[in-house]
Amino acid sequence: MELHVNGQTRALPEAAADPAMPLLWALRDGLNLTGTKFGCGIAACGACTVHVDGQAVRSCVTPLGSVVGKTLTTIEGLGAPDHPHALQLAWLAEQVPQCGYCQSGMLMAAAALLARNPDPSDADIDAAMTNLCRCGTYPRVRAAIKQAAKGRKP
Amino acid sequence: MKRRTLLLSGLGAAGALIVGWGVLPPRSRLGRAELLPAVNGEVALNGWIKIAADGSVVLAMHRSEMGQGVHTALSQLVAEELDLPLGRVRLTAAGHDTIYGNVAALLGNLPFGPRDHDRAGYRLSSWVTAKVARELGINLTGGSSSTADAWLPLRLAAATARAQLLGAAALKLKLPVAELTVKDGVIQHAGGALAHYGQVAAQAASTPPGEVQLKEARQWTQIGQARPRVDLAAKVDGSARFGLDVRQPGQLFAAIRHCPMLGGGLGPANLEAVRARPGVLRIVELGPVAGSTAAYAVVARTTWHALEAARALEAAWQPPPGAAADTAAIQAALERQAREADAAGAGFAFLDQGDVKQGLHQALSRVEAVYRAPYLAHVTMEPQNCTAQVRDGRVSLWAPTQVPGLARELAARVAGVPLEAVDLQVTYLGGGFGRRLDIDFIGQAVRVAMDCGGVPVQLVWSREEDTTHDFYRPAEVALMRGGIDKSGVTALSVTAASDALVPRWLERVAPGRAPWLDLLNRNGFPDARAPAALLAPGDAPDKTASEGLFDLPYAIRHARVAHVPTQSGVPIGNWRAVGHSHHAFFRESFIDELAHAARIDPVTLRLQLLDGLPRHQAVLKRVVEASGWGGPRPAGTAQGLALHESFGSIVAQVAEVRAEQGQPRVVRVVCAIDCGTVVNPGIVVRQMESCIVFGLSAALRGRIDIAGGVVQQKSFPELGLLTLAECPAIETYFVPSDGPPTGVGEPGLPPLAPAVANAWFALTGERRRSLPLAA
Repeated sequence: MELHVNGQTRALPEAAADPAMPLLWALRDGLNLTGTKFGCGIAACGACTVHVDGQAVRSCVTPLGSVVGKTLTTIEGLGAPDHPHALQLAWLAEQVPQCGYCQSGMLMAAAALLARNPDPSDADIDAAMTNLCRCGTYPRVRAAIKQAAKGRKP
Repeated sequence: MKRRTLLLSGLGAAGALIVGWGVLPPRSRLGRAELLPAVNGEVALNGWIKIAADGSVVLAMHRSEMGQGVHTALSQLVAEELDLPLGRVRLTAAGHDTIYGNVAALLGNLPFGPRDHDRAGYRLSSWVTAKVARELGINLTGGSSSTADAWLPLRLAAATARAQLLGAAALKLKLPVAELTVKDGVIQHAGGALAHYGQVAAQAASTPPGEVQLKEARQWTQIGQARPRVDLAAKVDGSARFGLDVRQPGQLFAAIRHCPMLGGGLGPANLEAVRARPGVLRIVELGPVAGSTAAYAVVARTTWHALEAARALEAAWQPPPGAAADTAAIQAALERQAREADAAGAGFAFLDQGDVKQGLHQALSRVEAVYRAPYLAHVTMEPQNCTAQVRDGRVSLWAPTQVPGLARELAARVAGVPLEAVDLQVTYLGGGFGRRLDIDFIGQAVRVAMDCGGVPVQLVWSREEDTTHDFYRPAEVALMRGGIDKSGVTALSVTAASDALVPRWLERVAPGRAPWLDLLNRNGFPDARAPAALLAPGDAPDKTASEGLFDLPYAIRHARVAHVPTQSGVPIGNWRAVGHSHHAFFRESFIDELAHAARIDPVTLRLQLLDGLPRHQAVLKRVVEASGWGGPRPAGTAQGLALHESFGSIVAQVAEVRAEQGQPRVVRVVCAIDCGTVVNPGIVVRQMESCIVFGLSAALRGRIDIAGGVVQQKSFPELGLLTLAECPAIETYFVPSDGPPTGVGEPGLPPLAPAVANAWFALTGERRRSLPLAA
């Protein structure tokens, strides 16, 4: 079994090649892409958010079998060291993360939002950013999304 | 004198007090260079500081980063005294010497209020406790104490290193040391660069520092600056390593399945069927360890295989030996015990001044109310986990923990190896909030690894196991009575009933030391409370069980604040701000009640009661001014206010609330804080936001119910955590102070719930006295 992740085709080791296995665990335990986090396993917190063909999905309830052949992006592929995503820069400018555990999911959800809505209103942000954070980074997440959107406007 | 003798002989017998007794705590924490292994041409100058060949500085980081920004703030202290850009301070994991212990956290647990600081007893207790804490050397990240604790020792370590480096440069270059300066880590003379630190480090190691002076505040270039955090680059690209991200060669994964009934036991189970599931390797039976409930651990090739198999496990679980916990029954029992103690004048009186009986009797009018707090779970975003390897008589651990030293001791006990045979690497913590002051999951991981033939294994708790097998914030009931006359509040009586927390925690995390720490706690009352404290049956009086109630900033002539320790059988632990979190709700709501009963504006009443405490008054005035208190309001909104001191910091908040489907909706929170000298204002502002959001989840929802010993809330949907869409606008203001730094990770939380409850009363006339408010 192979996955197209972050621009590469990667073969899954046998232990992580069950089509019923959630994508989250194939990424974390099969491909060692540990930036995508486990928070609940029931799609309630969003810590596991990745992109499948550009859409934000919660990988803890996405069976591996349903994403074979699709284009996957995880936090490790959101930007590159010499070319970070606008949101990653905004995240640093706003000093968003605290413990940081939910932030990969936050960034992936925000990136999917900006990709389909380059200038989101507060209500758009409220609707899209349902990821849970226990450290209370919400005000900074909102500010960073707005800052990134502003920077990208022509 | 007698008490001190008792204390000293007791601890002496424990072997705790052998060296360093006559040395001041900060000075004695410099540590020898041998504590820091030097690699790649590094030179260690003391127990904290190494100089790298390229002139950058390596700091031994002893505290756990769980989001509070401690790695950055402590790096700033070192960069300050070494005149170095923050980017040239690198971190390495500190070892396990007692210099890395936490003195400030134990000092913070002394039973004194803001009006006690000039008392002789306070100074004596602080002195003894600082000495004992220094000798115990327990490394603990908690109690909002990291910056306060590091403030002197870390700056002194850096300044001492700087003096040695300058001394070595002066010798080498044959220049008077007084003519040398440092800019960006480069030693200069008459404006010209001479050498960077790395070029004189080897000589510096054998150069005495001479007289070391810390910089004066006016010379600071790091302290007080909102420097970007050193850990955030790794937290936006997925490279930060949390406990669950540990990957060792050949690593296996284990999932846990506790007996659902707290304190219950294992029974016959479908282990054959579980073992036959795909990817499953073995099942390990786990007895109670460090306070945990008995459990099965299923070891498998991937986390998913382990979690799925653990979920499929069916067992005839054994109920706990005593009565199974039930929250409705516990709440009723707490109220009964509080009422009985109140009637009898019983309970341990943490505060007893004037004559409260007489005061209440003579008051013009009296107010009586019962306040309640539920059990609460921590719900760290990263579930509990630990990776362990047991091989050749050694234990290797990778763990997100707030107490690495206690974790090593536990691992040594579980594996039956000497302490020196246990290595522990602290990872980033995906939230702590006090949950990771407990080490049950570390003991479990060691036990599982012992059955895995030397292979590393990562023990993972599912979200459901994490929520249902926490050490919860204790439930509490408080009977509050106040007396008022025309001048204001004349009497206050509080009798609260809840389980003592610290004794239970010590029993599970430091069993060998628990009796001595109990003795230390009993000796923390060098005043009229001493006889009762020494003779209290059972546990020593637990300060956390009354903090936020007895440490009264308000000058009330007749006041008695007592606590009745109960035994409810529910595992309880340190939850962010500990006792302060719900006690501030009780006290600040009740003061609001008294203000309304006396027909005095809540701000006016507080300012009057805060007579003689100018810092408290200044914080209150700042929040009043910034929030537009008493001014015109948008229709359908109201404001509520609360003030609370905890962990040395004073915080006041004004919450602006409107009603939404009969429940409070908080739209704005204005916060003012005096936390002494501010090391990094950017971090403090975010910690206030963190406390307010965390506190609002708990104020509105998030109650834990237990029926038949089983926790009813399992995962996020039942916990109702605050979402981004519900997050209020938050503004934070500083009240300047030149005092030493005090806590910021917790003090923003306690005033939030009462500010919201008081706003709800202002809006609706309905007084909600039970948490959560939106039940």
